[in-house]
Amino acid sequence: MAFETAEQAQRPVSAKVVVSGGFGVGKTTFVAAVSEIAPLRTEAQMTSAATGVDDATFVQEKTATTVAMDFGKITVEAGLVLYVFGTPGQDRFGFMWNDITEGALGALVLVDSRRLDECFNAIDYFESRNIPFVVALNQFDGAPMHNEADIREALDLPASVPIVRTDARQSQYATDTLVQLLAHILETLAASASPVPAQRPAPVVTTDMRDRAANALAAERSA
Amino acid sequence: MGFEPEAEQLIEDGPMARPYFLTGGRTRSDAGELAVEAMVAAAPDSAPPADAELRAIHELCQTPNSIAEISAKRSLPLGVARVLVADLWGSGSLEVLETTRSDDIAIVRRLLDGIRNR
Ligand SMILES: Nc1nc2c(ncn2[C@@H]2O[C@H](COP(=O)(O)OP(=O)(O)OP(=O)(O)O)[C@@H](O)[C@H]2O)c(=O)[nH]1
Ligand SMILES: [Mg+2]
Repeated sequence: MAFETAEQAQRPVSAKVVVSGGFGVGKTTFVAAVSEIAPLRTEAQMTSAATGVDDATFVQEKTATTVAMDFGKITVEAGLVLYVFGTPGQDRFGFMWNDITEGALGALVLVDSRRLDECFNAIDYFESRNIPFVVALNQFDGAPMHNEADIREALDLPASVPIVRTDARQSQYATDTLVQLLAHILETLAASASPVPAQRPAPVVTTDMRDRAANALAAERSA
Repeated sequence: MGFEPEAEQLIEDGPMARPYFLTGGRTRSDAGELAVEAMVAAAPDSAPPADAELRAIHELCQTPNSIAEISAKRSLPLGVARVLVADLWGSGSLEVLETTRSDDIAIVRRLLDGIRNR
């Protein structure tokens, strides 16, 4: 970038993708599967967090629910890091989504095919913000193996949104899914005419803000 | 679906009341917005801030932390941690250690190749 100082240019670069979807679809499991560090989790016991709120009928082994986020990390090469954030599953924590998704490259929407309607909110959210996303069907035991066309119709997804299969419990499978998401993001960015599509989230640290921060720091040091 | 309740409503409705009190009710910092993954650290030789919560964050950031980690370690809601960290960044107490990218094709290509080939 033209405005960067030498110091800023050699700072490590990071980017972020978000793992989303409805309640109990395997978001926390997915982030743990792809992360190189023990993921940061902010979870609460189901007994207090979910009383009368969530339908855990299909996720019986489930004992904890995410109340804020899951946070994983992949060091791709020296100086280049990809962060993977999981959103909280319960609707009542929806107000946190903007904080988590701002500046994201794209999103994975995890789906349990026994409860397709759980992912409607996530799909609407990313669609309305023009954030590229991929729908990933998580392989739950006893889940019907719908064909892709049926799922696409049920979710009212345009042909441009890929539908893939994953297993959040298997690191290699989950990593492959992440690769599919990045490939879709790349395609979407390449297809957009201008380098900064109008409705993408604003860059997180603007040059203006960096300058102001640098000036403030310089002023303080020289004082 | 209520994904974007008004800030005032959040502040009135229960658990968010006290934390947003820490920001004086603000849901954005004048210094600008930082992503939750942004890694920050105390600026070299920066003095501890007077405010107790800001001082605790500054202390924590003697080693680098992301805003997400600060939120978890200080038991602050993510949105509140974003505002307070941005305040500290704006005043020069904290430095941002990584440049975040959200729309850079070259970066996405490197991420894709790097993760695919591992
Ligand atoms: N069979 C099967 N079970 C899975 C899979 N992924 C996750 N699970 C299980 O499903 C349950 C819910 O997984 P979580 O990762 O906690 O789901 P979550 O989306 O983070 O849940 P919330 O944050 O509460 O919305 C756990 O018991 C997981 O072990 C999968 O691919 N297949
Ligand atoms: Mg979770």
